[in-house]
Amino acid sequence: MDPQVPKIPLKIFRWFCHPDLVEDIEGDLSELYKTRYENNKTKAKLHFTLDVLLLFRPGIIKNFEPFNTKINYAMLSNYLKIARRNAMLYKGYTFLNLFGLIAGITSSLLILLWINDEVNMNKFHSNGEHIYQLFRNMNQSGGIVSTTRSIPKPAADLIKAEYPEVNQVALFSWQMERTLGEGDKTSKVMGHYVTPEFLDVFSFPLLVGNKTTALNDLNAILISKSTAISHFGTSWQNALGKTLLLENSYEMRVTGVFDDPGTNSTLEFDWLMPAEQFILNNDWMNDWGNGSFSVFLTIDNEEKARAVAHRVLGEINAHTQGASNAGDETLILQKFEDTYLYSNFDNGVVDGGRIDYVRIMTGVALLILFIACINFMNLTTARADRRSKEVGLRKVMGAQKTSITAQFFTEALIFSSIAVIIALVLAYITLPYFNQLVGKQLMIDFSIPLTWIVIVGLIAGVGILSGSYPAIILPGFNIIKSLKGGIRQGRGSAYVRKGLVVFQFVISIVLIIGTTVIYKQLDYILNKDIGLDKEHLLDVRIEGDSTQQFNAYKNELLNLSQVKAASGTSGNPAAYGRSTSSANWEGKDPAAGYEVNVILTDEDFITTMGMEMVNGRAFSKEYNDSTNFIINEVAANLMGFDNPVGKKLSFWGINGQIIGVVKNFHMSNLHEPISPLIITCIEPSSSTSMMVRLQGDINEGLEKVEAVTKRIYPSMEFQYRFTDELLESSYESERTASTLVNIFAGISILISCLGLFGLSAFTAEQRAKEVGIRKVLGSNVWQIVLLLSKEYAALIFVAFIIAIPFGYYLMQDWLNNFEFRTTLQPAMFIYAGLASLIIGALTVSFKSFAAANVNPVQSLKNE
Amino acid sequence: MGKYSIGEFEEVVLLTVAVLFGNAYGISIKEEIETRLNRNVSVGAMRTALDRLERKGYLRSKFGEATAMRGGKRKRFFEITKSGKEALEQVMETRKKLWEAIPPVAFDFKFA
Repeated sequence: MDPQVPKIPLKIFRWFCHPDLVEDIEGDLSELYKTRYENNKTKAKLHFTLDVLLLFRPGIIKNFEPFNTKINYAMLSNYLKIARRNAMLYKGYTFLNLFGLIAGITSSLLILLWINDEVNMNKFHSNGEHIYQLFRNMNQSGGIVSTTRSIPKPAADLIKAEYPEVNQVALFSWQMERTLGEGDKTSKVMGHYVTPEFLDVFSFPLLVGNKTTALNDLNAILISKSTAISHFGTSWQNALGKTLLLENSYEMRVTGVFDDPGTNSTLEFDWLMPAEQFILNNDWMNDWGNGSFSVFLTIDNEEKARAVAHRVLGEINAHTQGASNAGDETLILQKFEDTYLYSNFDNGVVDGGRIDYVRIMTGVALLILFIACINFMNLTTARADRRSKEVGLRKVMGAQKTSITAQFFTEALIFSSIAVIIALVLAYITLPYFNQLVGKQLMIDFSIPLTWIVIVGLIAGVGILSGSYPAIILPGFNIIKSLKGGIRQGRGSAYVRKGLVVFQFVISIVLIIGTTVIYKQLDYILNKDIGLDKEHLLDVRIEGDSTQQFNAYKNELLNLSQVKAASGTSGNPAAYGRSTSSANWEGKDPAAGYEVNVILTDEDFITTMGMEMVNGRAFSKEYNDSTNFIINEVAANLMGFDNPVGKKLSFWGINGQIIGVVKNFHMSNLHEPISPLIITCIEPSSSTSMMVRLQGDINEGLEKVEAVTKRIYPSMEFQYRFTDELLESSYESERTASTLVNIFAGISILISCLGLFGLSAFTAEQRAKEVGIRKVLGSNVWQIVLLLSKEYAALIFVAFIIAIPFGYYLMQDWLNNFEFRTTLQPAMFIYAGLASLIIGALTVSFKSFAAANVNPVQSLKNE
Repeated sequence: MGKYSIGEFEEVVLLTVAVLFGNAYGISIKEEIETRLNRNVSVGAMRTALDRLERKGYLRSKFGEATAMRGGKRKRFFEITKSGKEALEQVMETRKKLWEAIPPVAFDFKFA
């Protein structure tokens, strides 16, 4: 068979080769190929490709247009001049065009900055590619899996000792507050206990000190630069080796100062201390059943990481087997860089997180930009007949279609450049306010190439997109018709324009629907009856194990007239996370692992919280309730009791019985389902929270509570949270999303209306004579307004119909993030539709009304 | 340098075209150079050289017959022109003069 010359290289060759040379060189190439083919087929193909590549050199490449045509400065300056004149002649339209583009680009720039910041979170570690974090899945009752980052320390030790794939293992404690310094230089700062590997794994460079030895001594402490400055003043660089008093009693030696972690890091700390001491003081950490540290690993490559992930999965169960507190737990591995954006775990599997908002905002940024470009296209093509004589004359003078296309692209590029520059200034000015909204410190950094790439990209993208449609339509004008005047654009272009208007309004309406739904959901979660009364409920942190002290404190609080009730608990029940897997009850399947929340409290719990009992009774001082339990409805269901009261229940070695069932209340935000719960009042003195129900003057009550707290617990700082505020703060990202969607919905409807305004003005102008005749024949102003407006009203209505399914789908998807959610109601959609219809109608009628009021003599006098 | 400018590789190509009189087309020139000079020549390098020589007026070309071996493409045969010959002569002349100008002692390595 005759060998076929490789097709792709041949095509490439034919494409770039000069036409004079193509025939004989191709002949040479195929002759060579066939000779070589007889020796070695693959080599022949390879050589052929290589020859083609080597032929790509000056002298053989044909003259490509863009490289060849000299840039025609005369023509270019003519385009610029005409663009300027046209812009100045129709100032109103120029303003509409630019204003829309500027608003759109400014919004997109701000959103892009936000996205950039989100995406770059935790990306500054030089070792970042290789850092992994362990997560622990706790398989709970009813198939629910809850995921935590606190890992049993023995698991980390095991990995360090027995996993050859893992290079380093760093332990990182939960965040703790410590008092540093003495006298007037005392400060309370947050920090973590870490193992020495921490400084190797992550890139938190030491400004002073040696990172290999800094954490070796038990009394070593590393502090941040800002902490160093507050303690040692301007001579902070000499802090090395100085002593710093910890908790007013331990002398620590400063072995290093690190740069403040900064806003790009989710790991935040002002001090670091060796974990060794901390572990010595907390023996419980050496149990496989107790999670303690966050664990970070470095692994060379993904393949090894998969091997580690596979092997580590069952380690906990393997080591806790047979222990009394054994649960069903697995360890999973996630890349550290991904932990910020992909932080939601749904049944133990990563399921989005902030990445959802990043995606939504990317979409919003692109759509707003597109809406702005549509304005430009529509206004330019609608008014194309204004330019038709110019196009005709240019053609008569010998202009080709391509040069007219070039002209309109040039104009669009000029507009987009101006708009981008003004938008940059605007973005710069509004950035501080935007930062406040989103709680970030964003800035435009002109020193990095990415900024310039984005700027150039925006100019080119917006220019080409908005110029494309006019540049296709306008050069097609027939010369004679356009010179005679009165080019009538076909129905086609009018349809395209209408389609684009509909598109703009679809986006705007979807955004308005989003605004209402998010608002409704926020309203729902903040006002939902969560099963306890969160108003005026103060959560004061207490510590100490003395029953006497606890009772004295509680009694003093109850003596205050502003305190209605008080109860000591092991944590705020509205944000609770302490559980056991060792609960046992009558008829429990011994093989099943169940994780049940436990609240330790006193007899006043139910009344203080304002909870409701659905069955049985609450704790009471009249009985000895120390081995009696109250469970919630979820727990009652889980245990499978029809009548739980009186049933036996045991955990942590306490055997007792159930005396009542409390109505379900939420123990975390509404993203999460309600967990099963056991409430016991066995040892109130170990409480860490005093829940205080205030009445009357809240501020005065707070002051009194503070005074009492300081008297009874003199060594402790007064720390408190109002429960309703605590809950509100847990919806921060929803709040930010709500504000942003609000703003950008507003901007998109504004831009769409600008375009609509321009188009309606244009229609009114075009139909001026018709309006004049109608008026002469007896039409009144309102009939004419209706005549001119109804077309656009219909477009908005169509947009509304199209927007409904999109809005429904998107918002239902968002709502599904919440375990407890409001339902989508038709009212939300109708509201959005009506709002845009009214805004649109007002916009259109504004110009229509003006047109309808013109004296017919004015419009009819010239013919 | 005189009025003719010509590079080393161009000189080789030009000479080879003269050697292959009547049968000088892309492949034959390439193979001739490869066998005589024992060096690899890429189609690209040779084509640019031929093209440049033709534009300088040292070569002229005409299409020959098409063959199946060449996928139905015609050969382009090259032929040296009068000014091509003059250019080669001038190069040789320059070299000869340079050789003659070398003092004998320069090549006497006995005492070096």
